[in-house]
Amino acid sequence: MDIFLQQLANGLTIGSMFALVALGYTMVYGVMRLINFAHGDMVAASAFVGLTIYTQVMGQATSLPAVIAIFLLSAVCMACIGIILERVAYRPLREAPRLSAVVSALGASLVIQNGIMLIWGPRMRIFPELVPQVYWDFGGVVISLIQVIILVLSLVLMVALYLFVEKTRIGAAIRASSIDQDAARLMGINVNRIIALIFIIGSSLGAVGGLFIGLYYRGITFNMGWQYGLYAFVAAIIGGIGNIPGAMLGGMLLGLFNAFIAGYVSSTWADAFTFILLIVILIVRPTGILGERVAEKV
Amino acid sequence: MHKLSKLMLAAAAFCLVAAPALADTLKVGVQAPITGSYANEGQGIENGVRLLAEQINAKGGVLGKKIEVIVCDDQGTAMAAAICAKDLVNQGVKMVIGSYTSTCAEAAQKTYFNAGVLQTSDGTADSLTAKGYWTFLRNSFPNSAEAEFAANYMVNVKKYKRIVVLSDFSTYADGLANATEAAIKKLGGNVVSRDKIKADSQNFTPVLTSIKAKNPDVIFFAGYYSDGGQIRSQQVALGIKADFIGGDANDNPDFVKLAGSAAEGAYIINVPSPDVLPYEIAKTFIADYKAKYGMMPASIWGLMNIDGMRAIIHAMEANKSFDTRKAADYLHNLKEPLPGITGPIAFAKDGNRKGGSYVVKRVKADGSYSYEYVK
Repeated sequence: MDIFLQQLANGLTIGSMFALVALGYTMVYGVMRLINFAHGDMVAASAFVGLTIYTQVMGQATSLPAVIAIFLLSAVCMACIGIILERVAYRPLREAPRLSAVVSALGASLVIQNGIMLIWGPRMRIFPELVPQVYWDFGGVVISLIQVIILVLSLVLMVALYLFVEKTRIGAAIRASSIDQDAARLMGINVNRIIALIFIIGSSLGAVGGLFIGLYYRGITFNMGWQYGLYAFVAAIIGGIGNIPGAMLGGMLLGLFNAFIAGYVSSTWADAFTFILLIVILIVRPTGILGERVAEKV
Repeated sequence: MHKLSKLMLAAAAFCLVAAPALADTLKVGVQAPITGSYANEGQGIENGVRLLAEQINAKGGVLGKKIEVIVCDDQGTAMAAAICAKDLVNQGVKMVIGSYTSTCAEAAQKTYFNAGVLQTSDGTADSLTAKGYWTFLRNSFPNSAEAEFAANYMVNVKKYKRIVVLSDFSTYADGLANATEAAIKKLGGNVVSRDKIKADSQNFTPVLTSIKAKNPDVIFFAGYYSDGGQIRSQQVALGIKADFIGGDANDNPDFVKLAGSAAEGAYIINVPSPDVLPYEIAKTFIADYKAKYGMMPASIWGLMNIDGMRAIIHAMEANKSFDTRKAADYLHNLKEPLPGITGPIAFAKDGNRKGGSYVVKRVKADGSYSYEYVK
């Protein structure tokens, strides 16, 4: 039983990282009908940016305010890069066929990945212990401080985002843009600004996810973005792409599924089972778990 | 345009005149990962070979010929290694020093064998010497030797009752883990599980949690430091009270950085470090290396390769001939081991290096270590 609970804790931790990254995919898709394949590499870049801010800006301080500042500064940096990415790679292709935008996204992914390699080198870089290694043992189930921080902070961010989209005027504008951009424009919504905002939110949430990866695993490599991007992408599809609660649910489910498969079946096959799950979901419920049925407009 | 063609003609003429002069050197190839994940090891091999060549040339070379070093970067990948092998053979090298990884040494082996070019590598996979290539001389000690040492340490010295053996899927790691498991069983030890992880996957908590359920006394990890440090850190985080013993590829400063405070008390098995080599010849070579490059050799592996090169050159001098076949026969039938930087050098008929001494290091969180057990 305690082994089961331990796997549950492991799964929720990694699941909340997937969920944070998946939100970036799902929000961009919701408004632009575009899979932003560069998102995973943005997440990887944020880990390197955070590490550089720690060493260069913060002078290697490990106090709580310093750690919070690292998170905020990284999020701001990544939000700026997100805006630039949208301007350079996606806005010129807004009216182009969808395939062109996808190819552009893959190109952006390669540019960011190789950019990280050129700036920080191909070797693994290692995060310092910014969070003290504190553990609590509940009768065989061990929970660490970093796990609690990741889980709580992710949930807070996700709930805040949900409330923002559902309860505020800007949120209403985002929802309107995702339903019909032309109609939203006629109602006086500046869609370009909304799309920039989507990239700001998605990139900064991804930045938090990237920093969590750095803090939790400590080792970061320039090409790790693809792996996390792929998982988060699957999580977004499972939950229902374009649906914000769906991305959270999908991330958590994928994390748990991964932990239980690796723990009880075989860690070698965990990835394969993840994609088998994706295929099953797509066959049984093509719109994902929480995705609405999109009626064809005639 | 007219000027350019004149220049080309002149250049071609110069090459024709200069070619015989250049042919009068002994060409030594270096195949090593100069870039990529193992770049510091690869550069260490190149630096060592260049230093030794310089020293030999200063004394007049080998049988009156100066040594010319030709370096090829195999990037630590099998594909680049195979291309390197063809390239070095085409350039007419007599011997090749390297590579650092078993995978790269293996990818290049057949090309060197077909061309009759001697190859000496520190790759530890047992498969390297299982093919019957007379051209291959291993300058390190094979996985099976490390496996016997590790098994003996765990079963007879530490008296562990429940052992877990863990590895990734690489030639080196899987081979070392399988050999260790077999050696433990031969000594009557109890392996409670044999698990595999995917290198670079970062999240090892699921597999470690299932290992926790088996209640082990020790986790023996054969694999590279980039995973080993994270495995150790996650093992401590999950409250698994077992000891951690890493194979030789965990012996890297990054292991401690990755594991952080969890590194404290982990054990790593390896051949002795360069700084504790007790031989006079080692002390002078390391001092020369420091004087030339301003740093210590990257690791013991680079020095092993230098010993391989020294052995081949010694054989050529003893035979008074550059014939590679004769040199290999000479080294396979040494009466007395040659003095080496990393200890006495002698080869078995299959190209394996004889002997083998290992140590167990106990790591501290600040990166220093103490010797726990030496044999």
